Amino acid sequence: MIVFNTFLKVVKSSLTPIIMFTLILIIFGITNFSTNDNSLNFEVTKPDILIINNDKNEGLTKNLIEYLTKNSNIIKVKDDKYKVDDALFYRDVNYVIIIPKNFKEDFLNNKNPEIQIKSTKDYQSSLAEMMLERYIKVASIYKSQLTSEDKIIENINETLSTKVDVLLTSKLDANNLNKMTFFYNFANYSILAGCVYVICLILSSFKNENIKKRTIISSMNYKEYNRKLLLSNSLFVILLWLFYCILSLLLIGKSMFTYHGLIYILNLFIFSICSLSIAFLIGNLINNKNAINGIVNIIALGSSFLCGAFVPLEFLPTGVINIAHVLPSYYYIKTNEIIKSIEVIDIHSLKPVLANVSILILFTIGFSVITNIISKNKQKIG
Amino acid sequence: MKNVIEVKNLTKKYKELKAIDDLSFEVYEGEILGLLGPNGSGKSTTINCLLSLLNFNKGTIKIFGKTMKPSSYDIKEKIGVVFQDIAVFEELNVIDNINYFCGLYIKDKDTRKKYVLDAINLVGLENYKKFYPKQLSGGLLRRLNIACGIAHKPKLIFLDEPTVAVDPQSRNNILEGIKKLRDEGSTIVYTTHYMEEVEIICDRVIIIDKGSIIASGTTDEVKHLASIEEKVTVEVVDLENKYLEEIKNLKHVDEVKYDNNILFITYKKGKNNLIDLIDYLKINKINYTKIFSERPTLNDVFLELTGKELRD
Repeated sequence: MIVFNTFLKVVKSSLTPIIMFTLILIIFGITNFSTNDNSLNFEVTKPDILIINNDKNEGLTKNLIEYLTKNSNIIKVKDDKYKVDDALFYRDVNYVIIIPKNFKEDFLNNKNPEIQIKSTKDYQSSLAEMMLERYIKVASIYKSQLTSEDKIIENINETLSTKVDVLLTSKLDANNLNKMTFFYNFANYSILAGCVYVICLILSSFKNENIKKRTIISSMNYKEYNRKLLLSNSLFVILLWLFYCILSLLLIGKSMFTYHGLIYILNLFIFSICSLSIAFLIGNLINNKNAINGIVNIIALGSSFLCGAFVPLEFLPTGVINIAHVLPSYYYIKTNEIIKSIEVIDIHSLKPVLANVSILILFTIGFSVITNIISKNKQKIG
Repeated sequence: MKNVIEVKNLTKKYKELKAIDDLSFEVYEGEILGLLGPNGSGKSTTINCLLSLLNFNKGTIKIFGKTMKPSSYDIKEKIGVVFQDIAVFEELNVIDNINYFCGLYIKDKDTRKKYVLDAINLVGLENYKKFYPKQLSGGLLRRLNIACGIAHKPKLIFLDEPTVAVDPQSRNNILEGIKKLRDEGSTIVYTTHYMEEVEIICDRVIIIDKGSIIASGTTDEVKHLASIEEKVTVEVVDLENKYLEEIKNLKHVDEVKYDNNILFITYKKGKNNLIDLIDYLKINKINYTKIFSERPTLNDVFLELTGKELRD
């Protein structure tokens, strides 16, 4: 009990920096949480198009413009080369369509008039390009079969107005799953930083060279002493984990009471224990309180960036992901990403989750063994 | 006399450098043994080997009749150590610090509470119980350091230079405390390079230099190793050379030095050297302002045996 009581007293004396650090992490986390990721959602979007019509606004040309207007957001920009380029650069428009003079006449007379385009080359501009291509293809087919412009327009409109209903069969609550993944991915940083910061701060007192000497020569078994210290620190980590779980309940709500929510929570628990082993190892290696902030940045921030806690894994370069494979954070975040896309929870779908969790447990065992070896070696001072 | 510590042929090397060279000695129950030597002589290395904090290359160490090992927790519970460096928690106040270190040995809460208060009283920190280490002066901090090391009432106490950089009041308090611990039955190994302290409190002395014992015994026994018997110092203004020559020829005089109006005379033998000198000064009408006599110190012994001073 004496070790635990002293642990609490040391924590109490460092309470101000611990609370401030936790608050900063929470504020940072909530700010990050409020940003949206719609990668799993279906959402109707319209591209922003600028149409510069150099033809007369009648017949087929007018119909093309009406079709584009109906299916996109028409943006008005002054017909000036620089203004148009600026609008594209600043993403005010995704696609610029320049209809040439005598377009209608030339098209109907098989002269293949060229419509100039400029695009931002993103998915919105692809959508605009698809619309334009579709219109021209349909118009070309009817033009080869019919001679009356009115008939061509009528048939084009009829063809292009055909709709297909799409039924999304997925029962996943994509919005909430995205939120949960965001929150729990960010917890990689919060938990790791919190553990390393607080545990190193506490261990720097307990593992101070002179205090350690006094402990080693005491009648308390040093292994037992280390075990008591580890248990005391575990309590802190469990409290931190619980705090994060409660915070996720408050921010995400009842979705956390699902199997998906439970797996996120369990994954975070395993990662918290792994973070404890990392923090304990670092705490055994360093004695300098001033170095703790720097170490937190290197360990927590570094692994969060490398493993996709802030930027989704699919956007990271292959080289970075390859490096991330040697870090426990990668397997924690990867698991979160897997949970997000699990449709039906069963043994088969949980296999990759269990594989990643096993790797996290192996990391924890590895770090603990290294800590034990270092601690044993440090019992002798020369 | 019962042996508490038995060291035989202890050798500790750092690569090719022998920090301790074939050291053998015993510490008897209830005594204060002074381990004396200049900085780097091997005192702290010896203590660290005794406590199993350091591996050693050769020799055996027995404490309370048993071989000392890192896992000898039954021996460790009877040992208290006060290191030269302060080893306390900055985050805990005086009473909590002592309670923590005592708690590493004593499980029972009530016994521990009593022991903690006893330790506080012993080192005279009654008025500083709620003070944090940062609020204590250097001397008080040393006292706290001692209290943390001896609160569990050990049978054997190692004190490694506990009075370094301590004010005279705290020093006296610490030395008195150490004597009290001995009187209560503890055996004490006291390392220092302050010979005055050794002369005040130690029953026996071992002088170490370059990892080897160069002298041992009671302080008187060790002092007898010095070839001089008495040192006399006289404050006298403008002493003429002819008197200096005459003093050199006085009975038992070994060496005479005159520097800055101070006359130093060392005698090899004799019992009434001071009286003879006073008579000589009176006869020759040599006025002096101060005169005093000293017995040889441990430093003189050390100087004679090694050619250097203890505080070098």
